[in-house]
Amino acid sequence: MYAYDYSSDEILIERFREGDDLAFDLLVRRYEQKVYQLAYRLTNNPDDAADVAAEAFLRMYNSLKRFRGDAQLSTWLYRVVSNVFFDFRKREARHQHIPLELSTEDSDETMELPIEDENIDIMGHAMQEEQKRVLMEAIQQLPEYQRVMVVLFHIEERPYEEIAQILGLPLGTIKSRLNRARNALRELLEPYRELFGVETSPTIGQPQEANDAL
Amino acid sequence: MRCEQVRNLLNEYIEGSVSGAMRDRVQAHLDACTACRGELEFFQAIWRGLSAMPEVTPPADLHGRIMTHVRANARVREAHQRVAFWRWAGAAAVAAGLFLMGFFAAQSDSVKGENFPAPVQKKKPEIEMPQPVQAGVFIVYRQAENGARLPVLEARMNREVTAELYYAPDPETKAESMVVWQGKLQPGKTVEIPLQMHLQHSKERVLTLWWVFDGQKRVLFVPAGYPPAKIASVRLQAKLGDALRQLASLYQTPIEWVPNGEEPLVVLDVEDATLEGALHQLLIGSTYGVKRHGETWRVVSK
Repeated sequence: MYAYDYSSDEILIERFREGDDLAFDLLVRRYEQKVYQLAYRLTNNPDDAADVAAEAFLRMYNSLKRFRGDAQLSTWLYRVVSNVFFDFRKREARHQHIPLELSTEDSDETMELPIEDENIDIMGHAMQEEQKRVLMEAIQQLPEYQRVMVVLFHIEERPYEEIAQILGLPLGTIKSRLNRARNALRELLEPYRELFGVETSPTIGQPQEANDAL
Repeated sequence: MRCEQVRNLLNEYIEGSVSGAMRDRVQAHLDACTACRGELEFFQAIWRGLSAMPEVTPPADLHGRIMTHVRANARVREAHQRVAFWRWAGAAAVAAGLFLMGFFAAQSDSVKGENFPAPVQKKKPEIEMPQPVQAGVFIVYRQAENGARLPVLEARMNREVTAELYYAPDPETKAESMVVWQGKLQPGKTVEIPLQMHLQHSKERVLTLWWVFDGQKRVLFVPAGYPPAKIASVRLQAKLGDALRQLASLYQTPIEWVPNGEEPLVVLDVEDATLEGALHQLLIGSTYGVKRHGETWRVVSK
């Protein structure tokens, strides 16, 4: 039987340090959903995500005594998850080759999406689902650091300052690297512009105004 | 401006961190250039798509899997024996006392949001100490199945208190005021009050609630909580209460205000500020300070 404990994190950490393993169990319950969620976004695989989460909590167990408390526990845990993920990827990279192109369900062609008025909602829904799938796959193609940044900022909606703490990088570096990551993501998504409701191909040219003036 | 320059700035433009003259120049270019506008729309659609990613449901056996992995691989913990139950119960009681005092009694003017609270003192508190009424009010957000965030007020007291929570669009006249919850709060028991329904009926993006107990009055500004803004540029001049409501709405973050009898006129002019920064700026020179309490920010007397 499990009852929610309203003790703050620091109280639970203190209890854990004094030898109370129940406090650790409570901390795990408090954060496992968050930790799993981040791990899933990074790995895009439920099994790998659970492995990353389990390893992250193991590291928490082993190092909670040294936790200095100069960041929120959630921030610190995000940092641990990111590190576990980097380690997993390093191990993985030794074993397999990572595909460089996004897969589509039927062919390599960009999907054609004929939209008819009567089933516009069904198509709208299907497009949204497809958009999510394509986005997740594109995120998986980003280099690890960029992936972590995009997931933390755009999906987990963590502020820049916290991401800087999580990755141990200066704020300016986070902002510029995140910008690079977004551009990389946009390049990966170029074949799917229609799926995002954007039609025109981006030809770089003079502003319309300038053309009109000529 | 050239297209390449504009395209390099599109993400910053979306998040509002391009400011002043540069923003005007980017805007002018976008007004005139269809291709760059298409590019902007593409980035905007990507941002939207990413923030609309649904929550992931963890596998049912996740907790067991984690604990098994930890038990199997944890380093043996040195020195400490597992505590006997009675000792644990004693520690928990002390912890609960410390928790309440640490959070509710301490009046601090510093912004502590990003810092992990100071380590708990080993010294045991005087348990016989007369306890003032100390209220813990949190706004927490529960994820609904459709992905919506539903605000719930959690209230708990350290002694029995009769309390009233009401919604008043105009607190001066109490016109159209509506009691949301009324009753006794028991020590050690948490009362949860869902606020979604009231928020839906509120005309604004933020619900203003008044929370009264033992003659103390607090104001809670509760937004739906979505989409949250991380940074924003704010320029306002208003009475403190109004200013706080606007910030709660802008950042979609709950703010609790404990009026001390003073409601100064405040001026705020910040660019790309976090809520913490904006609040800090707002309260400079006032008799108020700010503290973070879970997801809720509390503005209290220094």
